[in-house]
Amino acid sequence: MKTRVDIIDNRTGEPVAAELFDEVTVEHFIEAQQEWRPIVLKAARQLASRGSRDLVPQHFHWDWTVKAPELGVLANTFYGIRYDKKLQGLMKLETVGEFCRCRLPEQADRSLVYVDYVEVAPWNLKTLMVALGEKPLYSPIGSRLIEAAVLKSKEEDCKGRIGLHSLPITEQFYRQACRMTPVGRDSAKQNLLWLEYTPEQAENFLTGVRP
Amino acid sequence: MADKRTMTLNLTDQEMRLLEDLSARKDVSKTALLRQALRLYQMVEARLSRGEKLFFEDEEKKKAELMVV
Amino acid sequence: MKPNSDREWLKKQAALEDNCFVSVGGLVMAVEDLEQQTQKVSAARQAFVSLVNLSRREHKLTWEQFSQKLDVDLAELIGIENDENYMPAPRTVTKIAQFIHVPAEKLFVLSGLARARDIHFQEAALRFAARSQPVEELTSEEHEALKEYVKFLCER
Repeated sequence: MKTRVDIIDNRTGEPVAAELFDEVTVEHFIEAQQEWRPIVLKAARQLASRGSRDLVPQHFHWDWTVKAPELGVLANTFYGIRYDKKLQGLMKLETVGEFCRCRLPEQADRSLVYVDYVEVAPWNLKTLMVALGEKPLYSPIGSRLIEAAVLKSKEEDCKGRIGLHSLPITEQFYRQACRMTPVGRDSAKQNLLWLEYTPEQAENFLTGVRP
Repeated sequence: MADKRTMTLNLTDQEMRLLEDLSARKDVSKTALLRQALRLYQMVEARLSRGEKLFFEDEEKKKAELMVV
Repeated sequence: MKPNSDREWLKKQAALEDNCFVSVGGLVMAVEDLEQQTQKVSAARQAFVSLVNLSRREHKLTWEQFSQKLDVDLAELIGIENDENYMPAPRTVTKIAQFIHVPAEKLFVLSGLARARDIHFQEAALRFAARSQPVEELTSEEHEALKEYVKFLCER
């Protein structure tokens, strides 16, 4: 699957046509690791040296040899966003598994699509780019990926319900930008905050309605 | 969406009741539920093939191993 | 249903996302771990460079001849040799592995394209890196070190 998604080029303020695709391969993991990691490390060191440890991205060293077997499993769906010949974001969803159950009391135990990880290229993240004396390039990559997760949930007949564990540093994105409902901290997952959409909230996110 | 193929599935009364009950509980169609079940089976099978083990854990943190035949 | 193509939605979301970090808990690593990983990667990387260099010299090839023999860009080999942070293409590493007759996945770890899960692997890389010296003619010790290390990579 490949579909057009508009993103904003922050240099001009104008929309540009990026591509959302689901045929993610090992080469994409390697590309992300090779292209993103040096910048993340550089920005992390800058932030740490300024004493901004709480802003340090709790980011990644992906071992793609571990990630590669995940690709052949039907329970997993991957999405990437590409623009200007570069990977701008990557996401992994699970459509079955231990986390694919709603925890909000009003929809307890119903099926949802679990967002296992979302990563946005570091050159699109303001906090990292400002640390390097630059500006973020494209947005809103995270929102486009969450939108894809909601659409996948609808395709799976889960009515747009998605759930995820958020790092402390990303709670603001899911609470405010995505308007997901925080349900509680999961002691089984490093006390990370669990957030979830009801079908109505998912629809509001897709259409931009703010009740 | 990928191209889909159709199959007919014969179920016993008990299996059909289970399917209806689960699909109501999960708020998904019966078809969606069966597709989820197939994926879950593949996921478990793939990990078992790699030598991993599957456990359930109760509230008191006692683990019981699930044997998959 | 297709992605939202409404410009107002796009701008609103971009504004909301502006100061946010976007990630979830699936991939977490503290900066202290990043520092430790970087040191381990350096040792493995040094072993990789030594392995490539010694193998080339054992066959008495110049860098240009080596790149032709492997059918890889000369720039890739120079990058490997000179830049600790240079990430070679997977194809290049595979070609080198075929030339040296070692499993490609072992070289992926040494080159930094993948991570080692085996402490013995890392220790062996360190020892090999320490034993190789940058001179033209391979000494008998270097011959021995190269032979042993290739054997180690093939056996595990």
